[in-house]
Amino acid sequence: MKKEEASEKLIDRSALSYKALTTVKKNWGGWLIMLPGIILFAFFVWIPLITNIKLSFQETVGFTGSGFVGFDNYIRVMDNPIFWKALTNTFKYAFWSVIIGFLVPIVLGLFLSEVVHFKGLFRVGIYFPAIISGIAVVIMWTYIFNPNPGAVMNVLLGVFGIAPSSFLSSQEMVIPLIVITMTWKGAGATALIYLSALQNIGDAQYEAARIDGANALQRIRYVTLPHIWPTVKMLFILQIISIFQIFYEPLVMTGGGGPNGASVSLLLLSYQYAFEMGDASASAAVGVILSLIIIVLTVVYLKPKGITNFLGKIKNGIVKAVKKCK
Amino acid sequence: MQINRLRTKTGGILNFSDYKKPVFKVVYIVILAILFIAVLTALIPPLWLFISGFKDASELESTPYHLFPEMFSIAKIAEVWKAIDFGKYFVNTLIVVVGAVLCSVVFNGLLAYAFAIIKPKGHKFFFALVMLGYMIPAIASIVPLYKEIMNVRLLFDGAAEWLTGYAPLWLIFGANAFYLIMFKNYFESLPKALFEAARIDGCSKLGMFFKVVVPLSRPIIGVVAIFTMTAAWSDFLLPYLILQDDSLMTVMVKIYNLQATMGTVMGFGPDRLLMVLTISILPQIVLFALFQRQITANAVSSGIKE
Repeated sequence: MKKEEASEKLIDRSALSYKALTTVKKNWGGWLIMLPGIILFAFFVWIPLITNIKLSFQETVGFTGSGFVGFDNYIRVMDNPIFWKALTNTFKYAFWSVIIGFLVPIVLGLFLSEVVHFKGLFRVGIYFPAIISGIAVVIMWTYIFNPNPGAVMNVLLGVFGIAPSSFLSSQEMVIPLIVITMTWKGAGATALIYLSALQNIGDAQYEAARIDGANALQRIRYVTLPHIWPTVKMLFILQIISIFQIFYEPLVMTGGGGPNGASVSLLLLSYQYAFEMGDASASAAVGVILSLIIIVLTVVYLKPKGITNFLGKIKNGIVKAVKKCK
Repeated sequence: MQINRLRTKTGGILNFSDYKKPVFKVVYIVILAILFIAVLTALIPPLWLFISGFKDASELESTPYHLFPEMFSIAKIAEVWKAIDFGKYFVNTLIVVVGAVLCSVVFNGLLAYAFAIIKPKGHKFFFALVMLGYMIPAIASIVPLYKEIMNVRLLFDGAAEWLTGYAPLWLIFGANAFYLIMFKNYFESLPKALFEAARIDGCSKLGMFFKVVVPLSRPIIGVVAIFTMTAAWSDFLLPYLILQDDSLMTVMVKIYNLQATMGTVMGFGPDRLLMVLTISILPQIVLFALFQRQITANAVSSGIKE
């Protein structure tokens, strides 16, 4: 390494070809190591992505694109009312997943890190749903949410005096119920990620806070939260990205997006266009729209200044409201 | 309950000095209670499934509802297993999972190693591309992806049928941005001095990966391997599209097919479907029991700190 640097200083800076040669010489080992991974990413991610964009502007015969048709595919997709339903549904999924699914793993992770009894039991038990495969989970919950008044969930509700529900056949409840199913499966694994972040906080930091006279809530506020904040931020956007990819849950639980399209998601629609309606270019158009939404959301989210300002405004608003109440 | 353990708890938000106060003892009991409820919420639905699988079709729908079946017949497990020839699908799934784990660890690990430690020219550009690909779900490009995979199959043309079927399912796990980022973050936390020392000792770049990075990265390799394992077990869409031949299907694809065709196949009712679900969960429980320590142990902080 040192030798190469020294020799680099000695060479004439104008000898460009020589410089290129040293670049290659210095990097070829690293490039070779990168190559297999890069090929796989190209093959499975980047090329399909570019082809998909192209396809969305083309006419298709089967799965092969032919002539370019401009925005015709997009117009055709947007003329279909089911597209707008899928679009709003996808945002509904995101909304409910934040309401139901976001805080649960944080709290569980926090509790898991504090508890000293039954540690193993709690971790294993809470993680358990994650090991059951997705399809098995959704079929199981479909049966638990059996709308029959004599079926398990309705009997259980009856114990608490709640009238029988039609569950997944109800247009209002279907999305929250699917989100509950996903949370049931995913919360434990996410809690363990928070747990590992929490365990990276050194005892010394809590000790220092204690010496400074911080009480338990202040320790959470000034030691715990700042430490896990990057994880929280990362997992939040991951959750949003993954909820936008919701697909087989409605496919299986509601027989492809029912009742009356109330649970169809954009990705499911893209799938149905391709493999049920044989319209590959419409499928591509829906896929591109979905990708654009996710990119926009992520970019907006990751632009920290905008977010901090936004949060600051909310905070100021709350502070003002509290003052007024007093 | 051994309340003593609270007296020796030194770390965390609340420690022994807090637990001298009664209010925190109450807080602790509330925490315990909530965790117990969480564990019950996690365990009861699969238990319900297990119990219900033993009911027969008419019992499932009977009113008033009763939780337990009239009889638990172990013979039913064997009968359902045999009727569907379930072992075959398990072996298929196992093949998919093992290949996926290998591809996932080796390819993502190597690429992350290049990004985090070797940093050859252009690594930033490719990392940005990986991140971009990460934001956009692969199945948003389902048609080209499907076509691409059919092309990969052509590469393996002439090879055994199972190889052409499974190879794309393995390889696609080698291009996973999430695992890559996990590896990259971990590798970046390894002490730089070690790599300098290895370099001075004349270790090649690839040699350094296997001799220095891998031995130090067991925890993260374990985590990625386990994540891949569960993801590959549960993988549905691509196996469903690619594995059309019944003899190649994975458990998930088979279950979906059974569910979708339930009304049309004679003698296969919902009770049997529930039994099949139970059976499909059992091997994961065994796997989980075997790897439980790696899964739930504090995987990340057991690493080295500089």
